Amino acid sequence: MRLVYRAGLGLTTAVALSLVLFPFYWAFLNSIKRPEETFQPSWIPFLQFQPTLEHWRSQLATPEIRHALLNSTIISIGAATLALLLGTLAAYALARFRFNRPSNGALTTWFISQRVLPPVLFVTPFFLLMRQFGLLDSVWALVLLNATFTMPFAVIILSQTFRELPRELEEAALVDGASHFQSFFSIVLPLALPGLAAAWVICMAFSWNEFLFALSLTSQSAIPMPVIIAGAEHTRGVQFWFVGVNVLMTMLVPIVLALLAQRYIIRGLTLGALKG
Amino acid sequence: MDRAGDDRRSREYETNPKATPSNTRADRTKFLFIGPAVVWILAFTLFPLLYALYTSLYSFRYGQRLGFVGLENFARLFTDSNLLSSLRITLTFVVGTVTVEMVLGVALALLLNREIRGSNVIRGVATLPLFATPVAVGYLAITLYYERNGPLNSLIRALGGENIPWLSDPSWALVAVILVDIWQWTPFVFLITLAGLQSLPSELYDAARVDGASATQNFRFLTFPLLTPLLWLILLLRMVESFRVFDIPVSLTLGGPGRATEVYSLYTYRTALRFFDHGYAAAQGILLLVIVMFIVTLIFTRVRGLYEER
Repeated sequence: MRLVYRAGLGLTTAVALSLVLFPFYWAFLNSIKRPEETFQPSWIPFLQFQPTLEHWRSQLATPEIRHALLNSTIISIGAATLALLLGTLAAYALARFRFNRPSNGALTTWFISQRVLPPVLFVTPFFLLMRQFGLLDSVWALVLLNATFTMPFAVIILSQTFRELPRELEEAALVDGASHFQSFFSIVLPLALPGLAAAWVICMAFSWNEFLFALSLTSQSAIPMPVIIAGAEHTRGVQFWFVGVNVLMTMLVPIVLALLAQRYIIRGLTLGALKG
Repeated sequence: MDRAGDDRRSREYETNPKATPSNTRADRTKFLFIGPAVVWILAFTLFPLLYALYTSLYSFRYGQRLGFVGLENFARLFTDSNLLSSLRITLTFVVGTVTVEMVLGVALALLLNREIRGSNVIRGVATLPLFATPVAVGYLAITLYYERNGPLNSLIRALGGENIPWLSDPSWALVAVILVDIWQWTPFVFLITLAGLQSLPSELYDAARVDGASATQNFRFLTFPLLTPLLWLILLLRMVESFRVFDIPVSLTLGGPGRATEVYSLYTYRTALRFFDHGYAAAQGILLLVIVMFIVTLIFTRVRGLYEER
C-alpha cells in the first residue's frame, strides 16, 4: 500500500515536471532543427536529425536583435538600479522608524498596492505624457516606468531583510554619534548585501519581461526583446526555428536571474506575506 | 508563520527612546529616507491616474484632443458591444485560469509537502515558467499548438483522438490561451502554498499527534484553517494578475480568430494606440480599475492579517 502510494507520488511528480519542462525542450529542438525538419515529428537530436547552430548564429548576427538585446539590458539594469536605490531607502525607513498617520503598515500596503493597478490604465496617460516630454521611443521612458512598477518588490524584500538584521551594531554606532545615514551606509547596507542583490535581480527580471509599455512606447530605436518577438510574425510568418532561438534567448535572462535569487522569490511574489 | 518574534522585537526597538538618540533628528531623517520613493510613486502613478481621469473627459480624433465631452466616454462603455464582449472573454479567462491554477497548485503542494529527495530541484523547476517572458511563452505555444504536426496534436492522435483546431476555432483558441496561462502560473500557486505549508508551526502538529488526531483531522482542523488567509492572498494576486492579461493573447492569437480572444486590456490597447481614441481608452482603463478595486476590497479584509504590523 505504502509502495503504491510512493509510486503514485513519484509518477505525479514526474508528469508535472515534464509538463513544465517540455515547452522549453521543444523551443530548444526548434532552434537547432533545419527548417525542412521543423515539421517532422523528430524529438531526439543526432539520432533522428542532424542539429545545427545556424539559426542561433544568424539571429545573433542580426543587427535588430543585437540592438534589442542591448535595449533590454539597459532597460532592466537601469530600472532595477533605480528601483533599488529608492526602494532601499524606503525599506529602511519602514523597518527602523515608526510612522504615525499613515502608519508603517498603511505605508507598506500603499507601496504594495501599486502592484494591483491594471497597467493598461496607464497606456493612454503615459503615451500622451511621454509624447509631450519627447520620450517616445526612448529607453529612458521604459527605465522610469519599470522602476516605478518594480519598486514594490524592492521595498518588500528589503524591509524584511533589514528587520532580520541585528540592531546592536547600528545602535552602537548611533550612540557613538554616527548619523542614521552613516550607520545605514557603512553598517546596514554591507550586512544586507544578499537581500540587495536578490531584490535587484528580481526587479531586473520583471523589467526584462515587461511587454505592454514597451509595445506602447517604442517604435524603432528603443525596441526591446519582447517587442521584437511580437513583431516577427507579421513580417515573415511564423518561422519556428527563429521563434525557438528568440524565445529561448529572451527567456533565459530572467530565468537565470530568478534562479539566482531563489531564496527571496517567495517573499517577493507574495509581496511580503510569506518569507519562504 | 514565524514572524511574531521579529515583530515584537521591532516594536520594542521603535518605541525604545534609547534607540533613537534624538527624536527630532530621527523624525527628519525618516522622511528623508522614505520621501524619495513616495514622491516618485506619486509622480508616476497618481499623477498619470489623474491625467487619465482628465483625458477621459475629452474626445480625440487621430490622437489630437478635440472638445470637452463630459462623461460621454463613460456612457459609451455601456453601449459598446465589443467592449462588453471583451469583458465577457476576460471574465471567462479569469474564472478558467484561476480555478484550475488554485486547485492544481494547492493539490500539488499538499502532495509534495514532505521530505523528499530533490525538493530543491522541484522548486527550481517550478520557478522556470514564472519568470519566462510571457510574450515568448505565447510564441512558443504557437509551435506547440501547431495543428498539423505539433506535439500536442501528435500526442492526442497517438492516444486515438482527433486533431484539435487549437488556434483556428474561436472556442478552442480561448482554451489554448487559458492553458498557456495555467502552465505559466500554476507553479506560482504551488510554490507559495508549499512555502505556507512548510512555515506552519510544527508544535501544533506534535500536540495533535499526542491527542491522537488522524491525518484527515489534521488537515480539516489545523492545516486548512491555518492556511486559509494565505489561500485568499494567492486567490487575490492571481485574480488581479489574470484580469490584466495581455501578453499571452497578443502573442498567441492576436485576439483572434475574429475577436474570440480579444481580452479587455487588448481592446483598450487597440482603442488607445490603433484608433488613437485616447479619451475613450482612458475611460476603459478607469472602468477596469474600478472592477479590480472592487475585487480587491472584497478579498483584502481576509488577507489583512498577513500584513499586520509591517
